[in-house]
Amino acid sequence: MIWLLLFLILLITVETALVTSLPALLRNFRYQSMCLALLTLLAAYRETSPELYVIAGLLFSLKVLLIPHLFNLLIKRINSNNHLGLFLNAQFSLLFVVALAMISWYLASLVIAPPAYLEQLTLSAACFVVLTGIFLMASRIKALAQVIGLLLAENGIFLAATIIPGGMPFFVEIALFFDVLVSVMILGLFIYRINAIFTHIDVSKLSGLRG
Amino acid sequence: MTKLLLTILKISLVVGLAPLASGLIARIKNNLRLRRGQGILQPYRNLWKLCGKEDIIPENSSWIFQITPLIVFATSVTAILFLTDNLLAIIFILALGRFFLALAALDAGSAFGGMGSSREMFISSFVEPAACLVIFALYLTPGSTWSLTHLLAGLSLLIVILAETTRLPIDNQETHLELTMVHEAMLLDYSGRSLALLEFSAQIKQLFWFCLLAGIICPLALLPYGFCLLFIIIVIAFIEVGIAKYRLFKVPDLLVFAVILALLAIVSALLGV
Amino acid sequence: MVLLDPLAFFFWAVILLVSLPALIYSIGYFKNKFTRAKLLTTQLITLAFIASMLFLVIAANAFVFLIVWELMTLFSYLLVLTDSENKAAVNAASIYIVMTHIGTAFLIAAFFLIFKYSGSFDFTAMSAACQTMPPLLRNWLFIFFLIGFGTKAGIVPLHIWLPYAHPQAPSHISALMSGVMIKTALYGLIRFVFLVLGIGSLWWGITVLILAIISCLVGVIYALMEHDLKKLLAYHSVENIGIILLGLGLAMVFTSLNLASLSALAMIAGLYHLINHAAFKGLLFLGAGSVQKGTGTLEIEKLGGLIKKMPWTAAFFLVGAMGISALPPLNGFVSEWLTLQAFFSGAMNVPGLLALGFALGVAALALTSGLAAACFVKAFGITFLALPRSSSAGQAKEAPAAMLSGMFLLAAAVVGLGLLAPIIFNLLAGVAVSICQAQLQTTGLFSLVLQPNGVIAISPLFIAIFLGAGLAAAYLVFYGYKVRLGQTWDCGYYRTDSRNEYTATAFSKKFRISFGFFLFPFRKTEKIKDSFYHVKSFIYRTNTTNIFEKYAYNAVLHLLYRIAEIFKRAQAGSIHLYLSYILATLLLLIILVKIL
Repeated sequence: MIWLLLFLILLITVETALVTSLPALLRNFRYQSMCLALLTLLAAYRETSPELYVIAGLLFSLKVLLIPHLFNLLIKRINSNNHLGLFLNAQFSLLFVVALAMISWYLASLVIAPPAYLEQLTLSAACFVVLTGIFLMASRIKALAQVIGLLLAENGIFLAATIIPGGMPFFVEIALFFDVLVSVMILGLFIYRINAIFTHIDVSKLSGLRG
Repeated sequence: MTKLLLTILKISLVVGLAPLASGLIARIKNNLRLRRGQGILQPYRNLWKLCGKEDIIPENSSWIFQITPLIVFATSVTAILFLTDNLLAIIFILALGRFFLALAALDAGSAFGGMGSSREMFISSFVEPAACLVIFALYLTPGSTWSLTHLLAGLSLLIVILAETTRLPIDNQETHLELTMVHEAMLLDYSGRSLALLEFSAQIKQLFWFCLLAGIICPLALLPYGFCLLFIIIVIAFIEVGIAKYRLFKVPDLLVFAVILALLAIVSALLGV
Repeated sequence: MVLLDPLAFFFWAVILLVSLPALIYSIGYFKNKFTRAKLLTTQLITLAFIASMLFLVIAANAFVFLIVWELMTLFSYLLVLTDSENKAAVNAASIYIVMTHIGTAFLIAAFFLIFKYSGSFDFTAMSAACQTMPPLLRNWLFIFFLIGFGTKAGIVPLHIWLPYAHPQAPSHISALMSGVMIKTALYGLIRFVFLVLGIGSLWWGITVLILAIISCLVGVIYALMEHDLKKLLAYHSVENIGIILLGLGLAMVFTSLNLASLSALAMIAGLYHLINHAAFKGLLFLGAGSVQKGTGTLEIEKLGGLIKKMPWTAAFFLVGAMGISALPPLNGFVSEWLTLQAFFSGAMNVPGLLALGFALGVAALALTSGLAAACFVKAFGITFLALPRSSSAGQAKEAPAAMLSGMFLLAAAVVGLGLLAPIIFNLLAGVAVSICQAQLQTTGLFSLVLQPNGVIAISPLFIAIFLGAGLAAAYLVFYGYKVRLGQTWDCGYYRTDSRNEYTATAFSKKFRISFGFFLFPFRKTEKIKDSFYHVKSFIYRTNTTNIFEKYAYNAVLHLLYRIAEIFKRAQAGSIHLYLSYILATLLLLIILVKIL
């Protein structure tokens, strides 16, 4: 079951490189978070750690339900076209993302010794998701894509947290959650304001602030 | 008690004989110039005559102008006290008199006074290192017998004396041209008793410096003190007649030469020569 | 937590000596000047500033020391910015805080180096650790401390901020900064180099002596060229720090040669000049503030004749000028005499070459003293005497009573520190003995007798009495006669006005020429012609080049700007570029993990 979920996460993340519209990206994010929540639930069941149950619950409620809902509302209010704006076109993004996958697999093999295949795969998946999140931030034009990229990177860190023996300290995870929640609210607010003032959320126009 | 009496005697001798020293120098100079010249006691008569004249005070000036002659006189007399034991304080005490004289010159509000005071402060800032180094050399001398240190220190002090007593080649006491006067420029606006006091103080200072130099160049056993004083007076008269006034910006060169002589004196003192 | 030794008490005395008159002065200075809110804030920050200095000297822990040091810098920065509408003040404050932090960086480095050996920030633990360090490390620590504290104290060539910051602050703040704050840097030097680090080699003291001589001469020569009263006083602070360092450097030299009693004598000379400078510099700055308040300008060339309109300010300024020119019987005379005496006494007990170096030090100190007297003849004479050179000077008003009382307290301190020299000497001997671990004979009550050279004695009180007697005698014998007011001799020209007077530029011209090898004066002239034959006006501007700024600081700044320009190209303004920087760094790190 875990293998299946991991495989799904990998697939969805790879697909993130191909999407070209905002609602699609959001859906992608939602599915990934759902897989992650289920994975955390299974890991919680396996390690019988009550904290991980809480994390799974939070993941589900925040990242599957609340945040995508908020963003959907935001997208409707912004009312511009839904095209994501790509710096790097979809095909090349795909190639790059696959390269990222190979690098993260390489990193995981350095860290974790061969017999523990599940851990290796999980760590590499986590690393991969983080790198993809940052890549998404770097290669998409609309500001909302940056936010979602950040959230994806967040997901990756939580994925890594599930396989660490002893688990990440509970407080750190809760703190991360609150961070995420607050930053999403603030970013959402700002994106709305930016759109209201500049009538677009095209981040590449920031290049007017060159040194 | 005897110390007190000796001090009073010392002070009264120096104060009393100061105009005589000036008169001697003037007489010798005039003789060298093949003139008859004034009598030796003429400075006394000059001072007496000045005391009988009216004091005119510039209307732009303030209390500093009136208090300066008193301070200059007091510092000249106080310096005599430290002639034998605490030479270092002398420099500062004389600086006090000079400070106020320079201020008084600026107080009158004319360009003459300003020129005089700026030239005087310029020259004196180079004189102070030379004088301090001479005192340093005297401090370090091994004993009271004659040595190279004494000779070099004496030469350096001679140049310092030329500057401090406003003698040629640094300053000319007989001129009132704005191109050439330094000390006279500062006295320009004084008259009557104030002028008498200032001239008298200059003469006291001059005799004081001569006594200091005589103390250096005639260690106790060799020559009598009075002889040394006369010798110095003659030397100064010869220098004044034989040399023309230096341009103002050449004066630091002369004073740096005095500093170097004093440094050499220190070196020889350290070597024990 | 607190360290209450004689050195701390001495510095408390210095701080309080200047702070209390400055606070009294500020009541009058700020009258009708600021809004109530700003006035309250400024006074609170001033009090915090004074409190931080008081805490600095009793800190027993290097960590606390650093924190209070930074607080002191912060408060003084805020106070320099009091007049924040003035662009020059903002500029000055920026230079000040940048330079101070460069110094503080060196201090932090030094503290952490010692911490590695001692494991604790406590002074006693640190000093124990310093005994066990290798000598090379101790040398580096000395250099770090010298640079760190030297930046704050204003040792040449780290003095650049002083002439900018001190004139811009309100006058009593300038008095506090110049009179007290730069002394706390010297406190740090004494505390850390003498007591914590312990004097190592001879070259430490010689370096300090050389820096001191350079500071003296550079400070006074630049001061001679200045015609803004406060900037002139700021350069004189550089000079006097040099004189204090002469005493401290001598103490270092003697300590490294194990001449403990001479070291104590030199330390007393340095500390005496420290408190003297606090007193007369504070007084001079308060006087300058009073001039500014009365006439609205600080430019000497536009003042004149103020002694009749502002008699009390003039009298107090004269006392301060006499103090700083080392005229007997005031305090500057005693401390300079002591410093010279320390040189003299030392020369007999040190190897010959070093004694020759002392001779050069004596010459430098004497030259400085002469030049300082010349500068103050100019400053006092042109500002206060003769006729006013502009209408603002002609309509000057005397300062309010609060300001005058502040000045009076400091003037009394200047006179008292001079006349009561033997008592002060004994008190300072207690401090110096605690630092140098020496035995020093206490002196008599009316005259200062120095051992081991028992014949050398001086008594400012005695000098004052004798001077007074001379004055009285002269007055009685020569005066009581009729005087008449007349016109100043001006070659028979009938209209004498302020344009006949000497100017400050002319006064300092001789020094400008003879020190031209150092000052690089240049002139700009402009001829405005009416017609082909008639010149309507001729404008003449003369200026000197500040070689430290031009060749050292500006060169370094330009280098920094050029390097920054090169890096600027990486900042293209695109957020995606920056994010790809992050991604690239992450990937690079992963790859590097394998390679390394």
